[in-house]
Amino acid sequence: MDDNTTPQPDNETLGFWDQHRFMLLIAGTIVIAFILVSVSLVIYNVSGSAQLDLSRPGLKSVSGKVDRTNVVTDYSAFGPVTKDTVKTFTDAYDAQAKKAKAVDAFNGDPLNPDVLEFADPTASAE
Amino acid sequence: MKLRTRLVAFAFIAASVLSLSIVKTTAAADLSDEQLGRIKSNCLSIKGSLNQLHATDALLRVNRGQIYEAIGTKLMSNFNARLSNNSLDNKGLVAVTQSYQTAQVTFRDDYRIYEQQLSAALRIDCTKEPAALHEAIESAREKRDIVHADVLRLNQFIDDYRLAVNDFMLNFDRVTGKS
Repeated sequence: MDDNTTPQPDNETLGFWDQHRFMLLIAGTIVIAFILVSVSLVIYNVSGSAQLDLSRPGLKSVSGKVDRTNVVTDYSAFGPVTKDTVKTFTDAYDAQAKKAKAVDAFNGDPLNPDVLEFADPTASAE
Repeated sequence: MKLRTRLVAFAFIAASVLSLSIVKTTAAADLSDEQLGRIKSNCLSIKGSLNQLHATDALLRVNRGQIYEAIGTKLMSNFNARLSNNSLDNKGLVAVTQSYQTAQVTFRDDYRIYEQQLSAALRIDCTKEPAALHEAIESAREKRDIVHADVLRLNQFIDDYRLAVNDFMLNFDRVTGKS
């Protein structure tokens, strides 16, 4: 009968890294999670997604006012081109164009010191 | 020789620092003491107005963005593709679509820059730093004007595309022999 069982190393013969493998696993996981979250946040801010996120603090008052009624059907890229199919397109296009131009977005000057009531009174008097 | 080089380097650095401080002082000097006082005393109402503008502009950005996106992807691109699939000349329409898509990217970027500037202004404590708030608001004001110009450009491309469709139809009628 063969008795060649491998002897198990006791704690004293194990190196530092072997003794703390579990703690290193936890620490490594936390570090990787931190890096991934940081990268995600950078992408969130740089890509412009943050500007579309109405659930941010201060924007909750308007988050329910997003226009969900404007459902635009995809115009099919396949099929014949006839006067009727072009008319179907122009009707859909004109409707959207009208909506796009209905409001002169970002017009006016709401950041004018006069509007915000800290203008120099001497400057306006001149 | 070494001393001379050092003197020149020192003079250069000193001139840079001085010019920077002059620029900063000039910006702050635009504000009278009365204005600074007004910013401090109206701090709450100014912040309220800015917060309100921040929210309404965010909503405007989302709603406008949806319409611009739908026009570009669901209508323009698909119509161009249909013409292409039928071997019809769509060069004029494709050119306008590309300009429109470029304008859309510019609009998104410019809005992001404006929103970040407005958010930065909102973070400033106007009771302690009224001049900084004024500077931040002025900067946001300029950036908002740029966003408005982007919107006008997009609207112009929407009109241009419609005109290009009309031109296409004229040619199409001529080619197919219909009046």
